[in-house]
Amino acid sequence: MGLKDILPGGGTSATTGGILGMGSPTFLTSRVDFIVNWGRRNSLWPMPFGTACCAIEMMASAASNFDLARFGMERMSFSPRQADVLICAGRVPYKLAPVLRRVWDQMPQPKWCISMGACASSGGVFDVYSMVQGIDTIVPVDVYIPGCPPRPEGLIYGLMMIQEKIRQESLTRHFEHRAEEPGLVAQPRASDIEVAELSGAFGNSTQQDQLSDGKTVRVASTSEDL
Amino acid sequence: MKEEKKSGLDAVDEGPVSSDVSRAEHSGGQADAGEHASVAALTEHFGSAVVRHRVYAGDQHVLWIAPEKSHEILSWLKSDPDHQYDMMSDVTAVDYGNGRPINVVYQMFSTVHRRELRIRCELPLDALEIDSVVDLWKVANWLEREVFDLFGVTFKGHPDLRRILMPDDYAEGHPLRKDFPLRGRFSRAEQTRRALNQDVERFYRPEDLSAGHTPQQVADVEVGTLASDDAEGDA
Amino acid sequence: MAQRTIDLEVGRGREMGVDGNPALSPIAPFDIAEPDMSTEHMLINIGPQHPATHGVLRLVCELDGETVKSVVPDIGFLHSSFEKLGEYRSWNQIVTLTDRMDYLAPLIYNCAYVMSVEKLMGIEVTERCKVVRVILMEMDRIFGHLLWLGTTAIDVGAFTPFLYSFQQRERIYTLHEELTGARITTSATRVGGMMADLPEGWTESLSEFLDTFPDTLAEVHHLLTGNQIHIGRTQGIGAINREDAINYGFTGPNLRAAGVDYDLRKDRPYYDYETYDFEVPVGQHGDCYDRYLCRMEEMQQSVGILRQALDRLPDGPINVDDPNISLPSKTDAMSDMESMIHHFKVITEGIPAPEGDCYLGIEGSKGELGMYLVAEEGDTKPVRWRVRPPSFVNLSVIPKLAEGHLVSDLIMINASLDIVLGEIDR
Repeated sequence: MGLKDILPGGGTSATTGGILGMGSPTFLTSRVDFIVNWGRRNSLWPMPFGTACCAIEMMASAASNFDLARFGMERMSFSPRQADVLICAGRVPYKLAPVLRRVWDQMPQPKWCISMGACASSGGVFDVYSMVQGIDTIVPVDVYIPGCPPRPEGLIYGLMMIQEKIRQESLTRHFEHRAEEPGLVAQPRASDIEVAELSGAFGNSTQQDQLSDGKTVRVASTSEDL
Repeated sequence: MKEEKKSGLDAVDEGPVSSDVSRAEHSGGQADAGEHASVAALTEHFGSAVVRHRVYAGDQHVLWIAPEKSHEILSWLKSDPDHQYDMMSDVTAVDYGNGRPINVVYQMFSTVHRRELRIRCELPLDALEIDSVVDLWKVANWLEREVFDLFGVTFKGHPDLRRILMPDDYAEGHPLRKDFPLRGRFSRAEQTRRALNQDVERFYRPEDLSAGHTPQQVADVEVGTLASDDAEGDA
Repeated sequence: MAQRTIDLEVGRGREMGVDGNPALSPIAPFDIAEPDMSTEHMLINIGPQHPATHGVLRLVCELDGETVKSVVPDIGFLHSSFEKLGEYRSWNQIVTLTDRMDYLAPLIYNCAYVMSVEKLMGIEVTERCKVVRVILMEMDRIFGHLLWLGTTAIDVGAFTPFLYSFQQRERIYTLHEELTGARITTSATRVGGMMADLPEGWTESLSEFLDTFPDTLAEVHHLLTGNQIHIGRTQGIGAINREDAINYGFTGPNLRAAGVDYDLRKDRPYYDYETYDFEVPVGQHGDCYDRYLCRMEEMQQSVGILRQALDRLPDGPINVDDPNISLPSKTDAMSDMESMIHHFKVITEGIPAPEGDCYLGIEGSKGELGMYLVAEEGDTKPVRWRVRPPSFVNLSVIPKLAEGHLVSDLIMINASLDIVLGEIDR
């Protein structure tokens, strides 16, 4: 029974990459991971970006009956600089989009994002001219919570999913987890084609097929069409 | 453009039905001027400026008046001791579509005489201008701004006529018009790009904040250009 | 209409203690003249993401030190174009949109909207439906005021009333859920009646709530009403006089705090409100403290109205008997051919409206909530659906109210107006 049998993953990185091996976790990194992730997930400071009805359910989750404090999340940080997880609760119109993006950019790593409710996840009931059809076109989302509004139990389930996601993180994949390109600050999160596909035309209540330069297009095949 | 009005299952996806121009305008509603003191007095006082009178929903009196005389009539309704409409409940507009004039609606209530009255002014689509009543009722300030924002009606004499609900440089038009599609005129990608290119700090400078000022002139943004493309950019 | 004032044993002087005896005030009197320093005015931006703006509201303030020289509210950050969406939805489908506008008191919006449609169409609802709607509206008035209470207290720094009010709100959430299946987005009403009748045991649950709620209200009174800090933060702040209040369009508790005795339940009554025995609190000074007192007393009065309504709740059908308006029950629709045809027609074609327009204002929790509907002959969708939102008009007065006050007072004034951005931006 050699080292290869007891170490996770056959211990290949221990024999090739050193103790803090790159690529696959080693015994040491997995212990450190455990402590770090345990600390992170049990003391998440949410940044409540509450806009509409979902914000009221978020407030109800923080209040005595459902109590987010038992998850370590009672310290709702209203300053993004001190927050870990952005909970976007409620509908986000285009006028609010740059504000959401700026708040997200201001949060330091490690950060996660929860899209709470149908409107934040996909536009919800509001397939209209002023509503962002899902905040994942603007910020990278980790967990989507469906509901209109989701019950506090739903929000708590979503938060527990974030905790699970954090639990599975690893220092060896640090660059992957915390990837953020400075050039993408204040740019749409999804490419033009993805945005067009996400909010594709359906039904004849659309009547919206005109581009800003007057040309008409039905389906966007390349980003030049947009 | 006359659209066929669909019914039943075909109508499920139907958007807002624009009215036929050929349909008789405001044909319903019996008009009994005697039941409402202000209606009778107005018709007597202003004669031809009162275009039409209808009674809807049992007891709702609606008067159409000529838009040129709107300020005079509304001011008389506010100050005359027999009427004294001191509370302006609402200022809004109705677009029937299909080239029909846009109606600006004033909903008024008198706390002294406990009477309510609705006044409407028809504005043809090529002359969407009417006098502002901000000097009479301060509440009309934001209400008229909203009508300007969503319908494009200009209120002459308004101290601060600019968009209120949409961003100041919104280039797709006036949303609540019937010819404005529900999902907007630009593609979603374009809307997202424009949204994230907004510079929210650009719209307020200390000089702009004093009440009753001439609002900061935001250059008319043509459809197809981004606001930041304009040469005039003050930080 | 007699003016009614609330008699409370609270002094208005800043040196007055809780029991009426002079006390050392922890807050300095605010008539000390500040030395005039020549400094630039500072431009700060509050919001739209801010804990104390009660929604996505942006206040751009020009400050001279801490004093507000001018403030410009910037709204539209929650504009969801309900009114345009309404033009694409049939009469009953719009009910689901109304919850999402004022999410703090959704049943009031549900009721206000269908009341306006029914008035336009000339539909008279059943007696039971009227009393049930009064019950739901008053319950949601308490619901909305409780949230106002919690968030205003937390703005002033008092955390405990927030928890108390949310605990009471949870009980109303449970009542919402038992009736409609949803906590916030209730969509309980339909044209001609309600989505469903009150379930068994619901009135008993409501009675239980009414038995214990006044005790919590008394506790919060004890915490806040005589509290020196609260008084210092709210008395004299954001005052407005009678004529200005009417001219600027204030309605609801904001207007009544300024001394105008105007309550739509008393002055333009609907649903037999004139037969209920309740008082309307009217303030004197029009400042934040009077608004606070008015709303606290209104909650108390609502409890009284609810008890009376529960007593007089008649039996009988909840929906109008007209098959062209109300859906027949599933049992009937499945067994009787005519009912099936009516069911089909109501769902696919909708309810045709007569030509005309209708404006109906009711006393919502924030003020006069008006629903304006325009329809053409035979329309199953409105040509125009306009909501006259009380908070929109109330918020427009902030530049006038806040001038000359401190920034922290601006937050307090904003809180005392009881605004909800969902209905402001629609």
